[in-house]
Amino acid sequence: MKTIGFYQGCCFQGPDAHMFDTLKKVFADLGVDIKLLEKTTCCGGNTIEESNRFLVYSINARNIALAEKEGLDILVSCNTCYMVLAKTKYALDNDPQLKEEINKLLAEEGLEYKGTAKIWHILPYLVEEVGIDTIREKVRRPLKGWKIATYYGCHIKYPKEVAVVDSENPQGLEELIEALGAEPVKDYEGSDVCCGYHSFYTNKDIALKKVVKAPQGAKRAGAEMLVTPCPLCFKAQDIYQDMAPTEDKVPSIYLPELLAYALGYDAKQSGLAFHIIPVDKISVNTSH
Amino acid sequence: MTVERAVLRVYRYNPERDEKPYYREYEVPVDKAQTLLDALFYIQENLDPTLGFRFFCRAAVCGSCAVKVNGISRLACKTPFKNLVERANGKPITVEPLNFLKPIKDLVVDHDQPFESLKKLQTWCEPKEPIPEKEYRIPPEEVKQYERPTNCILCFACYGSCEAVMDDPKYAGPYAFSRVYRYVLDSRVKEEHKREMVKNAMDVGDIWSCVQCQKCIYVCPKGVRPAEDIQNVRGIAAEYGFKDYPGVKKLQHFVDWIYATGQINRLSLPEEVYGVDPTPLINKFKERGAEVWEVPKPLPGLLEFRDLYLEVMKEKKPHLDIDFHHVRKIDKRVEEVFNADVCTKITERFEEQREDFFTRFWKKLSEFFGTK
Repeated sequence: MKTIGFYQGCCFQGPDAHMFDTLKKVFADLGVDIKLLEKTTCCGGNTIEESNRFLVYSINARNIALAEKEGLDILVSCNTCYMVLAKTKYALDNDPQLKEEINKLLAEEGLEYKGTAKIWHILPYLVEEVGIDTIREKVRRPLKGWKIATYYGCHIKYPKEVAVVDSENPQGLEELIEALGAEPVKDYEGSDVCCGYHSFYTNKDIALKKVVKAPQGAKRAGAEMLVTPCPLCFKAQDIYQDMAPTEDKVPSIYLPELLAYALGYDAKQSGLAFHIIPVDKISVNTSH
Repeated sequence: MTVERAVLRVYRYNPERDEKPYYREYEVPVDKAQTLLDALFYIQENLDPTLGFRFFCRAAVCGSCAVKVNGISRLACKTPFKNLVERANGKPITVEPLNFLKPIKDLVVDHDQPFESLKKLQTWCEPKEPIPEKEYRIPPEEVKQYERPTNCILCFACYGSCEAVMDDPKYAGPYAFSRVYRYVLDSRVKEEHKREMVKNAMDVGDIWSCVQCQKCIYVCPKGVRPAEDIQNVRGIAAEYGFKDYPGVKKLQHFVDWIYATGQINRLSLPEEVYGVDPTPLINKFKERGAEVWEVPKPLPGLLEFRDLYLEVMKEKKPHLDIDFHHVRKIDKRVEEVFNADVCTKITERFEEQREDFFTRFWKKLSEFFGTK
């Protein structure tokens, strides 16, 4: 069993607390012990940069230092949390003066940012560390006949210095989907269009225009649903897509939920039953 | 020995003659072109003299040769041809004009509209008065602050990749806001004009439409970081006291809630930004059987975190400060929900509550399946 520190950010709160439990169960089944980094806080959501960029570096250096103190690497699911943490790491690792200044502040809490912890996003972690074969072996409910569009989200592709996938040809989700027995739909129109999540509270109109593009493109390409490793893209596609003035809503699935369902958990345990836009493929009454 | 050849699939369109755009393929010997621009020259000189594209300096300074290559905005003169060929792996390389700009001919687009945006936003120096007899003196530290946005060469690669331009016709474009930021930092510019530029950025240029996708940073050939400059200008707008914009209210939410609880509260955002009651949405989740937490769980180590937060806010002046009146309200709400003092008993209490949460969850599950 491998152990990794998990940074949860603000993604698993409100109606989404169960999403973390799903993720933890799935990773345990795949041989990874998720140790919640309990003292870590919100990354600032790529928003408090607007007020104080130094604050973002400070609180995320603290987040990283908390994992380093326990000798753990960090696993992140949210694309935005990943990007903000990775940008902080990039800034501190390349600017000794900034690192020193921040370490002075962290010293009060007995913490030090060293830069030793690796920051993983769940997608490459599943592909490279857990391995596609391990995942394939654990599948108890092959998703035969499911046509799933892959949606990577922006903040693991851009900007370049923190990207975890090839920005112009991202890989990984398709392989995962095939391992679960389903059929991936890639490179559909809109697959690279932003989900709009971060603009919902700055300009709602544009968010509602953005959020339908990938789902509609996926549908035109023959997909029945989308899957994304980012809980924010998922929330946009589940909640904001539902608010958008389009007739056909396309269900979106958070990657750990899809894994959970294929690994044999039922609709509720996997979280698939709680979606605003229902996932028609599942049968709520089937318990395994 | 045969020379390796690559196929370029080039967008062709002459609005005066062609009913609609079409693509034509050209074979270019790989050793004849160092850059994509060389490849375009090769086509023009050897295969098709009618191909139109724009260029001038050939050295990534003038910004005139930006095109779209396999979907990504790039300066033709700065794109190594060999890399494109390797990546294409035998498939044709598609070359098209930049997105969202009026086509003039083939790869040449009309730059008038983005230049017009700069005029509308008034991104220039209106000098501070009195104007000195000799030149203004600018200290090197100041120049360093806006060195990066100053490197913009107006190639509009960012414009052609922008998610906000795609869906908001009013949106000025990433380059424009980098320029606003550059002049707002300039000590020669008079204060009223800075305010005017920031107000224009919001009302004329729709800066709050930026989705923060970071594509502009990715495509910029000069290392400018427009998405981050946009954040900076938004912060300055908050500092200038433009409180009524949803984006400023969102920022206040983030600044206050993260200080108070270590997290934002997505369930109070609708209320605090748009005055919308989130209850109907919460109920939708409850109907489906999901457990809903009204406020984020307070985190262990919150006091130390708050100390750090305050220390930083004191050391580095924020554009938008913590609203302590709001924080007290948040504390009170957390105390009510968790039935404890914030920062003291809350952690133990929370552990109890969490256990409760799972007990209740499993109870519900077993009720649902009617057995066990």
